[in-house]
Amino acid sequence: MATRLDLANIQGLLARGYSGLPYARFTVFAIPGPAAGHALVSWLLPRVSTAASPAGDSAAHIAFSAAGMRQLGLPGDVIAGFAAEFAEGMVTPDRSRFLGDVEGSSPSSWDWGAPQRPSADGLVLLYAATPEILDRRQAELASCLTAAGIREVTVLDTLELGDREPFGFHDGISQPVIRGLPMAGRSTRTVPEGEFILGYPNAYGQLTDRPLLPASADPRHLLPRDPAGSGAADLGRDGCYLVLRQLEQDVGGFWGYAAEATRRPDGSCDPQARIALAAKMVGRWPSGAPLVKAPGADDPRLKDDNDFGYHDTDPDGFACPLGAHVRRMNPRDALDASTGSEQSLAVTDRHRLLRRGRAYGQHAAGTTAENDHAIRQPPDSPGPRGGTGLHFICLVASLSRQFEFVQHTWLNNPNFNGLYDDTDPLTGNRHPRGGTFSVPGQPVRRRHRGLPQFVRVRGGAYFFLPSLSALRYLEQLPAETVSEPAATATAR
Amino acid sequence: MPYQIGVTIRAPVAADRVPALRAWLAEIARKGLAESPFDFAHVRGLHFARFCLLEETADLEGRAIPASLVFMSEVDAPLRRHLADLVDVAGEGVDDAFRHCTGYPGAGARRRHKIAWLRRHQVSASAFYVNTVGRGLAQIRQEAALREALEDCLDRREWTGRTATEARGELRAHVAQRADLAWALRPPAPPSVVFRAREALHMVAVPAALVLLLPVLLPVLGVWAVMLRLAERGDQPVTERPTLPHLEELSRYEDFVTQNPFAVVGFVKPGLLRKLTFRAVLFAIDYAVRHVYDHASLAGITTIHFARWVPLDGWRRMTFASDYDGAVEAYNDDFINIVWWGLNAAFGNGVGYPPTRWLLWGGAQLEQQFKNTLRCHQVAVPAWYTAYPSLSAQNIENNARIREGLRGDMSPADAQRWLSLL
Repeated sequence: MATRLDLANIQGLLARGYSGLPYARFTVFAIPGPAAGHALVSWLLPRVSTAASPAGDSAAHIAFSAAGMRQLGLPGDVIAGFAAEFAEGMVTPDRSRFLGDVEGSSPSSWDWGAPQRPSADGLVLLYAATPEILDRRQAELASCLTAAGIREVTVLDTLELGDREPFGFHDGISQPVIRGLPMAGRSTRTVPEGEFILGYPNAYGQLTDRPLLPASADPRHLLPRDPAGSGAADLGRDGCYLVLRQLEQDVGGFWGYAAEATRRPDGSCDPQARIALAAKMVGRWPSGAPLVKAPGADDPRLKDDNDFGYHDTDPDGFACPLGAHVRRMNPRDALDASTGSEQSLAVTDRHRLLRRGRAYGQHAAGTTAENDHAIRQPPDSPGPRGGTGLHFICLVASLSRQFEFVQHTWLNNPNFNGLYDDTDPLTGNRHPRGGTFSVPGQPVRRRHRGLPQFVRVRGGAYFFLPSLSALRYLEQLPAETVSEPAATATAR
Repeated sequence: MPYQIGVTIRAPVAADRVPALRAWLAEIARKGLAESPFDFAHVRGLHFARFCLLEETADLEGRAIPASLVFMSEVDAPLRRHLADLVDVAGEGVDDAFRHCTGYPGAGARRRHKIAWLRRHQVSASAFYVNTVGRGLAQIRQEAALREALEDCLDRREWTGRTATEARGELRAHVAQRADLAWALRPPAPPSVVFRAREALHMVAVPAALVLLLPVLLPVLGVWAVMLRLAERGDQPVTERPTLPHLEELSRYEDFVTQNPFAVVGFVKPGLLRKLTFRAVLFAIDYAVRHVYDHASLAGITTIHFARWVPLDGWRRMTFASDYDGAVEAYNDDFINIVWWGLNAAFGNGVGYPPTRWLLWGGAQLEQQFKNTLRCHQVAVPAWYTAYPSLSAQNIENNARIREGLRGDMSPADAQRWLSLL
């Protein structure tokens, strides 16, 4: 099996998060039919940045949902070759229950992506160095969409990339490093290519399922061939799944709760305790300093520190609670500890997400001085208007083993790591259980009950980020192909 | 405390009754089994229970196997009491269920006829795993209540400035004061002397017999290993993937509470070699779960409450059924990461399993093929009952350790460790 990455065939988003392109806008659209879709792909193909492209002043990426693939004319049996989660989509009732998209996060209340709404067929992600360039690129895209008769479902604006997410915490510190990418050389711990890029060996040394077409379906030889040697045309290779979820963050509610829960006996506010409780929920201080290394107070010198574990230094969670957000998102060596740190890390590495999200709404924090926001904002003040949050994006090779596993088994699981009723204090849903946050301590723990829900889902869909060759293949599909609905399609 | 038994009752369903049974199962799935007409919440010592339908099929030689209704329960012994409860407490529901089956005496039949019928339709498991042997339903419930009482006590009082030893002392005093918790200061009673004697005898007798048979077994093992390896070379990789409608049916009944039911059914590979291998492996599993993995862990997996391996149709088919914590993806990952060798040894003898090497290697290590084949062979469990829907196996074990830590003296460090259980 070839393990050398074909960088020129991989969309550049897999290789970089575009920290040099701080302005971004994501357009979700509905495709009326194959011809319109093909026109868009043709227009965009020369503009898509690859992992081999030099960094420019803008970048563009395109992804399609299963519904979008159908609209492009891809037959149902080929779509069934993708992961079942992708083929079914994010919003079936069973999947909503599984992902915790219930009550206030239920698709029925979403702004976009819900079943009764216009179909989220595709997604264009634009990144730029300046707002002017972004506006120009977006205007070009808009006229292309109009010309093709493609309808915008929603345009998701983002905030200028800062180093704080809306709750006010330094974010994006711990990212998996893909083996085989140029920048992986500096890293001591890398994850196999196939964990994020289809068609390469994954953490088990195997190729994840992806749509393979008989060679006859690709007479122009646009697609690479199955690296396993079957001779089939590999529609999945060099692509990956892209999860997009609009997560609205109740910033005022979060800090208000932290203030209420830490009031002194005389009723006055205790700013230090308030930040400390918020940090316990996150697992890092606002600066980013990890609690296991800075248990008592924030230490901005450790803002990007990612070199720590839990197994030896903090097994009971006295520094970083067992249920803290970062200890769930990436438990490092905290789980299955009986098998030892190395084995535990290896298991955790099979559930990593490559995060590419961008914040939206109002700059709640991060642009002000250290901790300034948290202290200054009165506890009872409402959150910023118009909605603030994160356009969460993650890239994975397996929706079930990576994104859905982390969402269900780690974040939203009230019984995570031996807990009883604790979902993720920051992002977790509280229905039907999970409103407890336990802070281990000496001599005894402190338990916060009735935690409000701070994050609500406002929209979302599963997309596939195809390789350049797959885009070329999709572009030339017969425009008259009528594909059957995925629900009735069966796997080979 | 009682030991736990796994009861399997299976009865054929005539083809023309299958649609009605399917409709009935869909209705019961909505209602659940806890209340009327099953009232399983009042069946004594019942931990988990389920009904599922095994569709009509044909075996590897093309012989028809009729559809059947399967009932499984994980319950505290004795069996006699449980069968009686099924008729006396859950009778209305049990009548409703088995009236779809050929030969059921019917709602109007006498009690002892129904019990006899249920008894006759039992299928024995080759191996039955209990997370912690001897931990009965009453104990699980009591210890959960104990933990909640202690947590409430922690919430209500101020603890800053106390040492761990002081805090533990205060909690012990709290328990001692409360008449309703006084039991917690005593250790749980072990299962009966008869049960323990039987298990001890089994524990010693099996290895002793093996040692005696060793001179015969060793050469046989050598020949067996070679034959098996030769047979394995004919095994094909799994290319079948579960269909979307099948996945949709499975997920319709999954992920409502902390635990999930799991059931797979598949054919045993043809030939004497595979049948004997399967039997030998299950004999070993039976020994291991009774004497080695009898406390809180199945070879490293801590999320399984109960599991059983039940041969069906004269060893032509095998079913594996369990009650486990979390989602099926995490469960399968545990299989792959922790007990791949155990899965291979058993299911490597099943049709459609990823190819194994020397029975233990390969198989579950082929992640995607393994997950696909499990999902393909998984049977939906529309009607399922759990007595403690929010407790994980880890929670239950933790609760038992909390109770255990109420007794005796502890060093300050041990007292702190104990307090961390809360």
